[in-house]
Amino acid sequence: MRFETFVALRYLVTSRRRAHVALIAAISVVGLAVGVAALIISLALLSGFQDRIRKQMMERSAHLRVSPARGARLLDPSRVRGALATLPGVIELAPSIEGRAWASDAGGVQAPAPVHYRNGARQVAEASARITSPLAARLRIQEGEAIRLTSARTRLSPIGPIPMTAALTVSEVRRSSALDKPGEVEVSEETARLLSGVGEGAGAFEARLANPLEAAAAARAVERTLGPDYAVATWRELNAPLAFALRLEKTVIFLTVALVILVAALNIVSNIALTVVEKKRDLGVFTSLGASPASLQRIYLTLGAVIGLLGTSAGVLLGVGLSLALERFRLVPLPADVYMLSHVPFAVHPGEVAAIAAFALLTALAAAVLPARAAARLAPGEAIRLSR
Amino acid sequence: MTTASSTMLAIKATGLAKTYSGEGAPVTVFSGLSFELEEGVFAAVMGPSGVGKSTLLHLVGGIDRPQEGRVEVFGAALEDMSARDRARFRNDNIGFVFQFHHLLPEFTAEENVSFPDRIAGIPEREARRRAAQLLERIGMGSRRDHGARALSGGEQQRVAIARALARGPRLLLADEPTGNLDAAAAQSVFDLLRDLHRERSMTTVIVTHNPDLAARCDRLFVMSREGISPSVGLPERG
Repeated sequence: MRFETFVALRYLVTSRRRAHVALIAAISVVGLAVGVAALIISLALLSGFQDRIRKQMMERSAHLRVSPARGARLLDPSRVRGALATLPGVIELAPSIEGRAWASDAGGVQAPAPVHYRNGARQVAEASARITSPLAARLRIQEGEAIRLTSARTRLSPIGPIPMTAALTVSEVRRSSALDKPGEVEVSEETARLLSGVGEGAGAFEARLANPLEAAAAARAVERTLGPDYAVATWRELNAPLAFALRLEKTVIFLTVALVILVAALNIVSNIALTVVEKKRDLGVFTSLGASPASLQRIYLTLGAVIGLLGTSAGVLLGVGLSLALERFRLVPLPADVYMLSHVPFAVHPGEVAAIAAFALLTALAAAVLPARAAARLAPGEAIRLSR
Repeated sequence: MTTASSTMLAIKATGLAKTYSGEGAPVTVFSGLSFELEEGVFAAVMGPSGVGKSTLLHLVGGIDRPQEGRVEVFGAALEDMSARDRARFRNDNIGFVFQFHHLLPEFTAEENVSFPDRIAGIPEREARRRAAQLLERIGMGSRRDHGARALSGGEQQRVAIARALARGPRLLLADEPTGNLDAAAAQSVFDLLRDLHRERSMTTVIVTHNPDLAARCDRLFVMSREGISPSVGLPERG
């Protein structure tokens, strides 16, 4: 063991004899541990929710979307289809056709609601529709009942132009999530073509992959195949605003809760500064024995690192343990009929825990720098002269 | 001021000035002080309190720096060294013994004595072995695992002497090493210093107020406000 580490550890252990220093050292360790644990639990809570949102993104969004780089229609839809179809890992593939319409119940009792209809890679059976719960509530319809979509496109009839309508059966009413646009209705490709009047071709093609996490690599492969006339977006890019909001939320929570760690760091500063003052004579003696100023500085940096290590380790154990227990035993229940979940989810991401631990350790070390420098600058002769 | 003989000088201090800037007005301890000492001499420095005897030792040992002047120890100018080189030089060549022993209370006698070696980078086990040997030599082998507080004043000072000698220094600076001890303990500690000086062929400077002990030294210097000079006779008893 190095001389500096040996001295620092002894100072920490024997500080128990000096009640006030011991108390501040204990507060420093506990404060750091609480800060680290609070940060881990906060981020685990956010990750729990965000993981579910990300999962929904992967389930509901197309994993790849190919659209024209310019214009509204694909120049060569069959080429796009071919490029996507030959891509390894593609499990569903469909043209994307969408537009606006009015939705009403079959009897026309309720006031029609403006909706956005679309088909996509997630298949819907012919003559059926998948709607969101707010729309179902507004139209007072349930699964298995009829819904009528009326688009702005018209067709000629003996009595003149009349709007195109499609009478469909509601195949699924799903809970609305943050990913849904208001009044979104998923329909089959045939229905979408009927309502939009797009008989052939498409504005875009969408594909779903067996492993959505490989979307970026797949997108690059399609871009290489199709060239610059086509834009390829992954599910992450299609949901970029939401993903950004989630990242922002996590960053803000991290910065806010990290203040606890900074307060704990102030305790470390005062603890080490107090030790420097108390051990002024020792610094003089070590200097007389041949210790360099850098060596004296290392004693107190080591002291900060040890306090940081103790507090961080305790905080990681507490934070990870509590988060796992909260998830495993579902300790925070939610009313399942209001929320989409029966309990508040917690997810511990090892990378985040490592980042928090590194942040706490660096903060503790940084807190030790000022008093450690003061120790190195101390006049040893004076320290010995005044300590008689 | 002594004149240098043909033997090599252990200490050559020229034109030293030291002022402390305390809470009140700055206090000038001395200025223009010069001092030389040949290698291998066992010297005593006497003088009234406050004339700067301890300060002189601190300047010679490089743990304090003069505002003016130059200190050479065994031909090496301390002022020309970086803080790190000065620390290394002190570790290798100079041992300090203080009036109040200044053993570190959190550590055992053996750990205290092993510090100079550990600062030099010698592994813990080897440093402890050497410390134990040194403690045996000064008759403190049985107390090596005792904390500093468990030792008597004389024992503490013996351990402090062992600590100062841990690196085999060529120069030992002792600042009133017997000043805090009763007569018997003071005699014993002085005898130990004298024996170790002979054994190790060191240069030793002892600051003392005890004329009996000073009379047993090879050379006696008297320090006053005017400077430091060799004594022409036996010191007065006081």
